[in-house]
Amino acid sequence: MLLEQQNPLVPLPMSNINKNIIRTALMISYIILIGLVVYGISSIYSYLNTGADRSKMLHTEVKKVEQYLPQMQWQPLTNEGRPMDQQTLKAIETDYLDAWYVKQVAYKTNTTEGITDYYTESSRENLYNIIQLNTESNTTIDATTLSHNPKLDFFSEDGQLAVLTDYDVVEYKRVFKDNKLIFDATETSDYRVTFLLEDGFWRIRHMVKLESRPFENQTTQDTLKLNIKGINYYPQATAWDMYGDNFNADTIAKDFKIIKSANLNSIRVFIPYESFGKANVDTTKLDQVKQLLDLAKTEDLKVLITLFDFYGDYSVLDWTLTQQHAKKVVTALKDHDALLGWDIKNEPNLDFESRGKSLVTTWLDKMIDLIKSVDNNHPVTIGWSNIESGDILKDKLDFISFHYYENLDDLSEAYINLKSKIKNKPIVITEYGMSSYSGFWKPFGPSEDDQAEYHKKIQSTFAEEDIPFMSWTLYDFSKIPKEVVGRLPWRKNVQKHFGFINKNGAKKASFKYISSKE
Amino acid sequence: MPFKNFYIILFILFFAASSNQHSGNTKQNIELLTEQTSYVAGENVSLQFKGKATASTYLFCANSYGSIILSPKTENTTFSFNLPQSFAIKTGIINWRLVDDSIIKTGNIEILPQSNIKAIETYIGPPSIEAGTTDYTMLVTIPTDHLDNPLADSTEVTVKHQFLDRNFKDDITMKNGIAYKNIYSEKEDGRIIISTECLKLNSKEYDVNVVPAIPTNFEIDYNRIHEYADGNQITTFSTSELKDRYGNTVSDGTFVNFYLTNSKGYKSSTSGLTINGIAKAKFLHPDHEERYDVKAYVEGMAESNTIAIFYKKAIGDFEIHFSEDKRTITVGPIESFMDQRVPDGLNVSLKIFKNDVLDHKMIKETCEGFATFKLNKDRFPKGQYNFEFYAAGTTKSFSTITYE
Repeated sequence: MLLEQQNPLVPLPMSNINKNIIRTALMISYIILIGLVVYGISSIYSYLNTGADRSKMLHTEVKKVEQYLPQMQWQPLTNEGRPMDQQTLKAIETDYLDAWYVKQVAYKTNTTEGITDYYTESSRENLYNIIQLNTESNTTIDATTLSHNPKLDFFSEDGQLAVLTDYDVVEYKRVFKDNKLIFDATETSDYRVTFLLEDGFWRIRHMVKLESRPFENQTTQDTLKLNIKGINYYPQATAWDMYGDNFNADTIAKDFKIIKSANLNSIRVFIPYESFGKANVDTTKLDQVKQLLDLAKTEDLKVLITLFDFYGDYSVLDWTLTQQHAKKVVTALKDHDALLGWDIKNEPNLDFESRGKSLVTTWLDKMIDLIKSVDNNHPVTIGWSNIESGDILKDKLDFISFHYYENLDDLSEAYINLKSKIKNKPIVITEYGMSSYSGFWKPFGPSEDDQAEYHKKIQSTFAEEDIPFMSWTLYDFSKIPKEVVGRLPWRKNVQKHFGFINKNGAKKASFKYISSKE
Repeated sequence: MPFKNFYIILFILFFAASSNQHSGNTKQNIELLTEQTSYVAGENVSLQFKGKATASTYLFCANSYGSIILSPKTENTTFSFNLPQSFAIKTGIINWRLVDDSIIKTGNIEILPQSNIKAIETYIGPPSIEAGTTDYTMLVTIPTDHLDNPLADSTEVTVKHQFLDRNFKDDITMKNGIAYKNIYSEKEDGRIIISTECLKLNSKEYDVNVVPAIPTNFEIDYNRIHEYADGNQITTFSTSELKDRYGNTVSDGTFVNFYLTNSKGYKSSTSGLTINGIAKAKFLHPDHEERYDVKAYVEGMAESNTIAIFYKKAIGDFEIHFSEDKRTITVGPIESFMDQRVPDGLNVSLKIFKNDVLDHKMIKETCEGFATFKLNKDRFPKGQYNFEFYAAGTTKSFSTITYE
């Protein structure tokens, strides 16, 4: 109204501009207010509609996440009642393992998340009671099961009730009180489980432990059949990342020729855990490992495969996944002629500090059992990062291996010392070497001649003490992933120059001492 | 000097001994005093040890559902652990470990179910089965004690069921924590009443329907007001009572399809659902003389005999009257079997040909015996046309009708 009274030729006074500003502000705040109101109403509306989603009520949505995959071996179906079909059996298996999983999580955290889905109303009380007792005593139990051997006893005619007996369930438990580890133990038990099909879940109605005995594992010993003279291998351009799109069989074939002609008989390669797909192993990459083994075979080289590269979790609930991974990898490769043996993990003792020695050691222990149960033909070792760790798990390993980057003068003595502790088992140095980096980040670093001198010297020690060896490494690398030594340039650059062959493909002085003379 | 050596040796021995965890110096003497290894659920379970407990002595126990740790109760020369009530009530093995930095002693306790019963969980399925002694329903029972443990295997459960005038009683035994029985149908349909009894506790009543088996072949018949093809009345087909092979009348609602094949081989169908075993289906009389062969099916199960049904010609000749400009044509009166005018709604069709090519087809329904066609000047302009009328099986043709 005010505007109309103004003479249009007279410029608008200041107060009108202010009014327009106020008007705009009012308008915007009105829009925002309406927006908020609409948002509020819609969230109330959608809140009231939650749970009414038909697909959610019927549990039809696909939500399969692999989180618990212990070894599961069904015994042949001879059940009473209705004949069992594979699909229902799979459904029972999935829900049964999930029931174990939510139970483990519940006891680890003393919460009841997920229990209602997998235990019937009356049986979940039993779990709640235990959670309550453990909460009161401030106890937590970090547990997992590593193997199940269920046998279906009964399946009802209407398909709503099933009974199974799960034999030789291997349970590993770590018991904490006031966040302090009291003890850990492995048990073997038989359980009889009664299931009811409720709301699309096979829920546990009754669970009875029929038998429990201490865990026993008799693993056979395998012998190392080769006098190792080897080298750790990555292609020059794709260090730590040689599979997938980076895989180049021609390069590998060429490199193997170099290795073979340098009087070496074996190589050590790595299988990264995560990039191989964890529990769900990438078959393409696995095939590439097979190709690598094939190429090694043509050159008559043996391959020591190091598993679980870049793995560092070790948490008990993750064990079934790592075991599943190992089982798949080992099963796929165990019959290959070029396979020398299994190195379970590269330098796991470096994780002792962050993850706890007992946890890491038990993980390794169980992994040895698993790998030996899948492949009883190839020796198993662990590539410890230093000689001092060499006697950990010495009774379970078929040969001992460690890495040596310390002073060469001490090697002889330390080796003899370790040998006195470990009788009748070969002790191999699976990594040693010296970087020839001397540059901006390390101005007084060793030269290539120093490196050659180092290798000359260590070879003479090997000859004296008759030490099998695998050196680090064939090439100087141009690219080092940050996961290996971090981002720091003085570390990266050192790591780049451990090779016997430099970036340009020329043999360094050290190449002369890549292997023993004879 | 010898003393020094002695101390060194002693020192070494001490360390060697204490590092050997299973026969630790102080822990060596710990003995289990409790001899009982088997308890009935609900009893107090405690483990007593001789020896001295330390601050880090715990008893780890794992029952069927989970694990707990207990702290000791120390008396003079002994210490003991009382298992919590809520933990010791579940049947199965409780494996325990006495821990003091390391595992000192291990053992198992067995918890047995109580011998009295609290409830019988009963599951029956499927809820309806077919008569004829081959189909069965399965009764599964889980008798549980007062602490919700399944009773011991080989506990007897009595399954009682009643059918028609017969009563049955069977004893079954528990195995794998359950007891089950298959209850077979008999030749008659009806309802089986089932109950179970275990240790004098009776369950409530359950029932299972025994439905008749699939029907056997049957007969069909028809019923109509008259035999004339008047296009107005309705013929009703009906089946004989449909029965299964044991003589049980099939369930109400069994679907029966009737297929009618006319003299030219064309098929039509009509259908009905059974009530008390009999299905009925309706069919409108044709408007012209016709013969049908009729056969009925319960698809995939049973079929009937074939019957033939004739419809007599009811409507005879009729007249056709053209108006002066020949553009209004009246058909009729059309008369039925008693010379009565046909009921309204009989179809009369007119095909109009121009140069022997079908130009247009019109259908009119009779009203009070007449059907009237009006041909528009714009639609049918000047020229020659041939007309063909059809009603109730009779065709009449007029050639060379000329429009001005």
